[in-house]
Amino acid sequence: MGLVQIDNLAEGMLLAADTHDRNGRLLLTQGTELTNRHIRMFMTWGILKVDIQDYDEPLSETSDSDEIAPELLQKAEEELKLLFRKNDLSYPAMAELFQHCLIRKARNENR
Amino acid sequence: MKTDRPTLESIVNSASTVYSLPLIHDRLTQAINNPRASISDITLIISEDQGLCFRILKLANSPMFGYHKNIDTITKAATIIGTQQLRDLSLAISVIGIFKDIPEDIITMTSFWKHSISCGIVARILASYRREPNVERFFVAGILHDIGQLILCTSIPLILRNLLKQSKESDRMLYEVQSSELGFDHAEVGGELLKKWKIPLLISEPVSCHHDPLHATIYPQDTALLHVSDLIAHALQAGSSGENCLPPLNTEAWEILNISESSIAGIVQQADTQIEQTMDSIFGGAH
Repeated sequence: MGLVQIDNLAEGMLLAADTHDRNGRLLLTQGTELTNRHIRMFMTWGILKVDIQDYDEPLSETSDSDEIAPELLQKAEEELKLLFRKNDLSYPAMAELFQHCLIRKARNENR
Repeated sequence: MKTDRPTLESIVNSASTVYSLPLIHDRLTQAINNPRASISDITLIISEDQGLCFRILKLANSPMFGYHKNIDTITKAATIIGTQQLRDLSLAISVIGIFKDIPEDIITMTSFWKHSISCGIVARILASYRREPNVERFFVAGILHDIGQLILCTSIPLILRNLLKQSKESDRMLYEVQSSELGFDHAEVGGELLKKWKIPLLISEPVSCHHDPLHATIYPQDTALLHVSDLIAHALQAGSSGENCLPPLNTEAWEILNISESSIAGIVQQADTQIEQTMDSIFGGAH
């Protein structure tokens, strides 16, 4: 049992608690068996983590950027640095935005 | 040359004679403000415009709303989404229709609207993080935020082209070049046109000040939200507004929003899942 990131959800997992959207609206109740449709719905509603029954953390913690080839990552970083050149990347919100755009861009190019 | 420099007023005046809001918007507003009007009065007005109906239903069934394709009538849409929200959505769709046929030699329309719609989607998501009651009005503000650019495209195409060139060569933001060369930027042009159209200040002020968010006096939070949305939309690299890099973040505007940095991942991810289908809902054909 534990909060599971949306990326790590899979079909067949059981909800350990009721899941609400940001406005408090009930989406799914405790004990629901997740389907792909549910997971898509979480993405649409901006649910980032849900409580899952009997969840074991995957043994090897893979970080977001592990699966991406370093040269792709580097290329994406150069392009994004150009795009972000008028912004201070040491400002926390900008650093965060940059980081997510970087992974997103490198992933898109990976496909 | 100095003497025939266009003024904000002359540009907006001539634009407002060429582009006018469809009558339907006025009628909807009247019906919504009339306490005696019922949902069926409002749906009747929308139903008169087949194209609008179709796009509203398509939007209502898109992932942006997440209702899983069950909204098949305007009445249902009005009940579930709300009448004011429906009015705001129809405003967004109408305005895109008004500016459909602009010559594409300076700005490509599809990519312009893609940026605007992305900004609208991000604004809508940010608004829901802030638990704003009507998120559709932020969607509209996002869609409209750069319409001033389109007006400049049609009213002073040669000057705008020149300013674009200057902005590239000197690596300054286009809106800064516009401000220093014209005395106003596209944001102000758009805001003024919206005022002429009698769109509430709640939408026109954020549009007017989206590059200068601290200048907003009446709706500083809405303006800050639009400013940040524009920036995130640029970061998503969906479409283009004419700028060739991210506008600098006004950190005070970010702080006004009071949104935690850790939400950014979710915002980006959520926007990503919605942009393509929303584009299709607004521009896609009937089949």
